Formats: sequence, C-alpha cells, structure tokens
Amino acid sequence: MYDAVIVGSGPAGAFSAYALQGRNVLVLDVGYRPPKIHDLEGNLYALRQQREDLFEELIGSGFEGLHNVHKRNISLKLKSPYMSYIVRDWAKLMPVESRNFEAVASFALGGLANAWGAGVFRFTAKDLESFPIDVADLEPFYDEISNHMGISGANDDLAPYFGAEPHLLPPMRLTKLASDILDRFRMRKAGFERQGITMGRPRLAVLTEPHNGRAAYQYDNLEFYRPYDPAIYNPAFTVDELVARNRVTLRTGYLVREYREQDGGVEVTARNLSSGSYEKFLGKNLILAAGTLGTSKIVLETNRDYESRLPILDNPMACIPLFRLSRIGAALEIHDSALGQLNLIYQGAGSPGLLQGTIYGTTGPLRSDVLFQFPLSIWANLTWARYLSPAMALLMLFYPGSSDSSNYIRLKPDGTLDINYEWKSNQVAERRLIRAFRRIGYLSAAALCQYPAMGSSLHYAGTLPMKASAGRYQTGADGRLYGTKAVYVSDGACFSELPAKNLTFTIMANALRIARKVRASLE
Amino acid sequence: MADDRTALESEARHFHALFFRRPLPGPVVERYVAANRLCFPVLDRKAREMVETIVARRLDAEAIELALRLRKGSRVLTRKIQILFYLVEVRSEYYACFINQVPGWWRAVLRLFGAVVRSGWKCAKGLYLVWRYDFV
Repeated sequence: MYDAVIVGSGPAGAFSAYALQGRNVLVLDVGYRPPKIHDLEGNLYALRQQREDLFEELIGSGFEGLHNVHKRNISLKLKSPYMSYIVRDWAKLMPVESRNFEAVASFALGGLANAWGAGVFRFTAKDLESFPIDVADLEPFYDEISNHMGISGANDDLAPYFGAEPHLLPPMRLTKLASDILDRFRMRKAGFERQGITMGRPRLAVLTEPHNGRAAYQYDNLEFYRPYDPAIYNPAFTVDELVARNRVTLRTGYLVREYREQDGGVEVTARNLSSGSYEKFLGKNLILAAGTLGTSKIVLETNRDYESRLPILDNPMACIPLFRLSRIGAALEIHDSALGQLNLIYQGAGSPGLLQGTIYGTTGPLRSDVLFQFPLSIWANLTWARYLSPAMALLMLFYPGSSDSSNYIRLKPDGTLDINYEWKSNQVAERRLIRAFRRIGYLSAAALCQYPAMGSSLHYAGTLPMKASAGRYQTGADGRLYGTKAVYVSDGACFSELPAKNLTFTIMANALRIARKVRASLE
Repeated sequence: MADDRTALESEARHFHALFFRRPLPGPVVERYVAANRLCFPVLDRKAREMVETIVARRLDAEAIELALRLRKGSRVLTRKIQILFYLVEVRSEYYACFINQVPGWWRAVLRLFGAVVRSGWKCAKGLYLVWRYDFV
C-alpha cells in the first residue's frame, strides 16, 4: 500500500508529489509527452527566412496546425504539431458536451501548464475572502515554489494586487511597443489611477537568468511551437526530477475512473490504456489532482451521481486590440516573446470586482491564424497584418469567475460531462479602458473587441469548493472531500472563488499546503 | 479519386494566382490536396458546385469569399483559401508577403488605405457574383 496515490501530474499533482517526496508515493497519470523534435532551434522569424520550408515544424505532417480550420477552435498554442500532445485524446478520454463552454483538458505530463502563459499571481486577502484559509496559510508555500521554479518580474505598483515576491529575477525585456505604453502610462499615472487603472510589469515563471540548472529565456518567439522550453517552468520538470531522484513513483498510461474507501485506505481503479483492463492501486491517502474537470468527473463517477449539478468557475475574457499609429509600417521586432508584456488592474466603473489585463505582442501566431477574422478582403487583411502588426498590442482582459447558479457541470450516465456557463459583457470596462488608452495615443474601438468563448481561458475551478463547514461535494480547509476519511482535492476544483487572475500559482501553493498536511498525518 | 485530385490541384492554382504572382510550388499543391481530403472528406453538393463554378469560370474568389464572409454564408471557400495561406506562409519564399521588411510609415499608410478601397470594390463585386451565380 502506498502512503499516497496522486492522480494527475499538472500544477497540483506535481506539487502534491513535491510535498510528499521521499514517502512511498505513486503518481498516476495518462502522461503523454511531446514528440521527438527535429532541430527547432533559433528565432522563429530567422528560421522562417532561412529554411526553405517549415511545414513539418509549424503545420505538421498530420496537418495538426490546421486544427481550427475544420474542428472546434482551440487555443493557438495547443494546435501546432509539437504542442498538440498537450490535448491529445482529451475529447475521447473525457468527452464534454456544451453549447456555450469550449472546454479543453490535458492528459499530458504536466497538464495544461505545458502551454500556460506563465503568469504568476498571488491571491490577496480580498481574493481569499470566500476561502476558509487566508494569506498567511498560503504565503510560505508561494515563497517555496517561487524559489523552486524561479520568477522574473518587478515588485512595482502591482504588488498590492499580485502580492510581493521576495526573490524576483530581473524582469523580461520589453518590446518597444510595451515599453512605450509603460512610459506613457507613467507620465499620466495619476489620471489612470483616478480611473481605477494600475499598470506594471508581469511576474512570470520564466527565467531571465539561469536558475536551478535551467537556462535563461532566449526571446526566440517559439512558445507556440516548441514544448519544454527550459526557461518556462513546466510541472513536468518537477515530476521528472522527482522520478529521476527516486523520490516518487510515476506510472503513466493510466486513466483513473473511481475510488473506494476501505479500512485503512483508498482503492483507486484506473484503466490501463494499453491493455484496456482495469487495475487497482491502494493508498493510505488519495490526492485528486486531475484538473478541475477530471477531478469532478472522478468524484461524480465514484458516487454514480448523474443528477447533481456542481458549480463551476471560469474567467470570462475580452480581447481588446490597441493600435499606435506612429508605429504603422515599422520593422517587426523579431526577438520578442509571445508571453505577457505588461499587466494592468482595472477597478473602475463597470467592473464587477477587480479585473486583470495582460498586454501581449502579436509575434506568436502565424498570420494565417488571424487573417480571416478581420472584416476586409483577404488581400486587404494580409496588407493590414503586414503593416499594422508592429503597431498593435492585444489587451486580454480577464473578469472574475461568475458564481451564477445557472452555471454548472454534470456527469451524464454515458460518461460525458455536461457544462453550462453563461456570461455576457456589458462592455463598460472595455469602453473605459479604450478611452484611457486613447489618451496615451493608443487607439481602439469597442466594435473591435473580441470575446473568446467561455472555457477558452482554461482557468476552470470551484466545482468542489473549500468551505469552513463543508457539505456534500465540498471540501474542508485541509482539502479533504466531505464524507471521506482520506480523499483530498488539491487542484482548482477546491477553489471557493476565482478572481480575475491566472490561478496556476495558487493551485501549486494550495496543493503543496494540502499535501504537507497529508504528510504530517503520515508522520 | 483522380478527378478529385485534378479538381483540387486546379483549385489550388486558381486561388494561388489570385493572391501571389509566382509559380505555385509543387509541395504546396500536394499538401493542399492532402489537407482538403482531411478537412473536407465530404463536401455538400452546393459547396462543391460553388467551388467548381469559381474555378471553371475563373471567378474572383477573393471577392466572393468576402461577400460570403460578411453575409455569414458558406465558410467552405474561406477555409479552402485559409488552408492555402497556411501552406505558403511556412515557406521562406513567401516570407515577405506576410512580414513587412521595408519599414516606412507613409508607404504603409498608403497601402492600408489602398487595401480598404480595394476591399470596398471587392465587396461590391463579390455581392454581385454571389447574386449572379446564386452562391449562398
């Protein structure tokens, strides 16, 4: 019998394993890995000029890069040939039905964090108001993870909203456009603050200096195409390191279906995907870290509950293009990155709470990914893309997860997850932000805002929320699932609320906290 | 299958000639055929006839695509042209078509203005062609 069985190897699974390393721990996962990569080194744009043909690298012999042409849209980061392992088989292994929620799940080692934006945000006291834990409960775990993975950034005006990071690596280099936005913001800072807008540098789990044996970031624009960049933290790094040092046991190729508590432990039933047979694993404790959707499915399947509707949270998004007219026709900055350049906080009129925005450049995707979304003829769109890209930034605005009771996740008897999530922006915040940016010379219009479908943020949470006094399908402050003795939920499913922030860093910290308590109970 | 291949090759050549003034590379034709077989294993009759008519009569696919896109009509033509664009964008000889290599503000602004005017013309032409040939 294992001391603990951990289901999943994403941010929650990796840090649950990290906390329990050295004990008799089993990590169970499907665990897909990237394909062998043939020589994709250098800068994306230099490669595109130098190599006659990058079909294999950017489109793929299986036409993976054409995914969104003939299938339901997924994030551009998930469809390139070397990145598509992240979402391999997910719709087959965990089918989802919805008319308004474009869910995505990952069965890769490291989970969806193989393609995360690496944005690192601490939850503040306000963010944790609905949680039965407070900042002091998470702080030491944030610090420990920060040291482990390395975070670049600055403790600037955003520190009150994102938490102060004690050990920051130097911030990433800004593009000319982002640098110009920040300079202009600083010149009119007081005016922006009166409108509830604060701006600063992002904290990213991206190394700007070598750290823990990993190399620094190269500004090569390959985030959309090349997995396992050593500079961008991936939970798979931690799992692989623990396995290499014999600190945990990893078994891949298993899809966990259900669990059953019995005297002295928990029996986990998983399907061996190679043989198709079901195998059982015994642990004194079970830590569910299969991602919010995966964990919810396991819990509902265990209870054979095809009626209950669990709550679900996700960050609605608005994408606002910003144009700097003086940079039209400028040379494209090819030594750039597809990662966030700047962050802002908006808490002015029309805001249902604190909104968070991330400003990106436009050098990541292929032009063909976006050409057909503009309302001009194809040739005109191509001309606009060619000359306007260097003058364009994208502000991705995140809203807090909506706790509307009509939003739910349910398991159907055939194993399909049924999800409903309704949200519509009143565009007040977008209009205010557009007006504010206009004052510093960046133009946009509400009509140009795009609203990715719900589910596109990949920030799923809150299906089995932590409560001070938990009830059915809820978890306690220690992550233990109500009605169980030794079943813990350590991923986003146990979040009580979802502020307008990437939740990955908090998933890691909370998983570390919960698993440390499990470890203490074993000792 | 042979007929299907010939039709797809003709499509690729017709669409390519509308946007790029250079010969269509052989590997792109091969990939266009394979990609279409993957993305459109079965095309409904109406969409198939529309594409066949556009290619046979050498109609302005750019104009028709814009009209259909703005009217939220069939997306087949958009997707077929998008496939072609993906396939050429990853080749170095097309790099300058997608990425500006000659910085210059006035030149860029004039071209952007020209692109808008051209779009207006293409839209009017496309709406006429959609009406004339009953493409929906």
